Amino acid sequence: MTAEAEKKILVLGLGNILLRDEGIGVRVVERLIEQYEFLDNITLMDGGVRGMILMDPIIQADHIIVIDAVLNDQPPGTVYRLEGDDVKLSMAFKNSVHDMDFLETLCCCELVSGKRPSAVIIGIEPKEYQTDPSLDISQELLDRIPEMIVKILQEIEAAGGSYTPKAA
Amino acid sequence: MAGCKPKSAPVTPVGDYSGRVVIDPINRIEGHLRIEVEVENGRVKNAWSSSQLFRGLEIILQGRDPRDAKHFTQRSCGVCTHTHALASTRCVENAVGVQAQIPETGLVLRNLLLGAQFLHDHIVHFYHLHALDWVDVVNALSASPKKAAEITNTAGLGHRKHTVAEFEATQARLKKFVAGGQLGIFTNAYFLEPHAAYKLPPEINLIATHHYLLALKVQLLPSRMMAIIGGKNPHTQSLYEGGITCYDALKPENIAQFKALFLETMDFVNQFYIPDVLAVAPYYLDWGGIGHTTHFHTCGEFATDESDLNSRFLPQGVILNNDLSKVADFDLKKVEEHVAHSWYKDDSPKHPWKGVTDPLYTSLDEMETGKTGRYSWMKAPRYDGLSTEVGPLAQCLVSYARGHKQTTALVNLVLKHLGVGAGALFSTLGRTAARCIETKVIGDEMVEWIAKLEANVAAGKTDIVAPFKMPESAFGVGFVNAPRGALSHWIEIAGGKIKNFQLVVPSTWNLGPRCDKGILSPVEEALIGTPVFDPKRPVEILRTIHSYDPCIACGVHVIDPKTNETYKFKVC
Repeated sequence: MTAEAEKKILVLGLGNILLRDEGIGVRVVERLIEQYEFLDNITLMDGGVRGMILMDPIIQADHIIVIDAVLNDQPPGTVYRLEGDDVKLSMAFKNSVHDMDFLETLCCCELVSGKRPSAVIIGIEPKEYQTDPSLDISQELLDRIPEMIVKILQEIEAAGGSYTPKAA
Repeated sequence: MAGCKPKSAPVTPVGDYSGRVVIDPINRIEGHLRIEVEVENGRVKNAWSSSQLFRGLEIILQGRDPRDAKHFTQRSCGVCTHTHALASTRCVENAVGVQAQIPETGLVLRNLLLGAQFLHDHIVHFYHLHALDWVDVVNALSASPKKAAEITNTAGLGHRKHTVAEFEATQARLKKFVAGGQLGIFTNAYFLEPHAAYKLPPEINLIATHHYLLALKVQLLPSRMMAIIGGKNPHTQSLYEGGITCYDALKPENIAQFKALFLETMDFVNQFYIPDVLAVAPYYLDWGGIGHTTHFHTCGEFATDESDLNSRFLPQGVILNNDLSKVADFDLKKVEEHVAHSWYKDDSPKHPWKGVTDPLYTSLDEMETGKTGRYSWMKAPRYDGLSTEVGPLAQCLVSYARGHKQTTALVNLVLKHLGVGAGALFSTLGRTAARCIETKVIGDEMVEWIAKLEANVAAGKTDIVAPFKMPESAFGVGFVNAPRGALSHWIEIAGGKIKNFQLVVPSTWNLGPRCDKGILSPVEEALIGTPVFDPKRPVEILRTIHSYDPCIACGVHVIDPKTNETYKFKVC
């Protein structure tokens, strides 16, 4: 096993599935789990709105691929790839007092463990997230899920991971 | 014993401010709480505790199957998770008459599950919810890591030995974190500028901060313990009227895992939590005279017979007028909820079996203009017309007064260490010490319960639930002494469904408003006389509020992400 293959990768879908498009990150991870097999060094997780509770899986990872709704004033369905300082800018989106700031969680991980995994975000501009609670994701976002999956799989490969499609 | 006790007892400074101070929202609690005080010449003269949130759980439950109550009520809160499920389960068990039939192994599992909740709650509370009121994290940056290691390694408080390197590492990470500008959990902290009410020397600040960070990882352990018996955490799933249904928890490998997690948690309690309380308390000894309350009650906890409160490991009882020489038995008939100062229709106090939940919001204006009309979504529970505190201090006092061996030994140890008498227990300092004492008392007894579980499984005693029949109509009540205090659920069943359901929650006992006689609630009473040095950073008020470990129960507020919320006084 090479050092690269040992690298622990966490694919983390964030969001609140009750708030329509805000839950897109969770739904994309669900699709990935449905459609692909991953090697043991890759963990796929529904991180929901769990905030600081995610500290443990984050500290255990070397590299995190976060999937989430990102507000960036672009048309709904625009797909983004953010890393480095851009991660800081995107993570301030809170839509309830229970939304734990994911960036704060990352900072706390470093404070607690001295370790801060590298992170990249595959994000998408939401359309509906401030309406009444519902599980329905807007069509504009549903249409872009395959594209997001392609990007996420590329990130996984770039980080040294591998996957195989599941039988249909 | 270098550096572990102050040469002379520090005194909390009194400022000279006169006027109103509003803290809204109170942070480092669960839920939505607003505290308003009238300060005169630097001391609190009057206080109002306002819960800002209405849930409506009691209304939601009407007409439902009584067995569903536990699933709804548990969603009151994910912090004091499980406790409401247990209260609802006991409540319905009482109504259907199955309490005395619950198999012993089922009871042992339930006690272990609740015990794990205490371990989780109290560790998280001391470090992550309360400590920053006493510990100056920024001041820790000036500490000598070498001196800090000397304190942990030689002061005789019971700390595990630390290395200089680990204190250096934490201090370096802290420096980087604070310098990074992303203050995260320390945003708006009162100690970002020096604050005269913070009294710890830099080394103790560093030790406590180092342990605060460790505790973030340790708290996962009891949380996982609960998942082994509860199925998952938060919001356990395995309780059922008549016992519990977690058959997997009887498997040797799961008991072994529970035990391993438990032992590691208790190592932390013994070698970090208790020594830290003993290290910090001497610098805040005058807090043994601040945060005073008068009456206390507990319904006890950890039953061997659910039909008998007196079978509980921690005893039930009522203490009035700070008199430890008299303990009365808890009488459920003496519980009443008042709404005269709460946002509900109907003014008359009611026993929970006749309780009504009919909300009617007026405004906060009556409080703001100096008259105290209605000002809280909480009702005001009263015991025999009196405002009684519940929680670790209440349990500790009742246990102490009843001669509970394990509690008495620890209380006396702490009083001796601090050089104070039992009177100092009726205070914010007492409340904080009681929480720590309770953690150890319960944790130590859990060793016996694990042994019992192993013995029962080996002997084939693996029944964990008894059957029952749902009656057409019945009344029932379930009592839990939760980590925050006395919790009770009251049910009236009619036509086999919930006709009425009332929750009387510990934070309502402690943090509710005045009753119809205008008697202050425990927290309101406790705040009177509190010194306030800096009205813009009223940490002294927070010290007492947080000593109650408020759990007001969460709800959803939608915040527009594009606007900045500002409050009168930001709380860290």
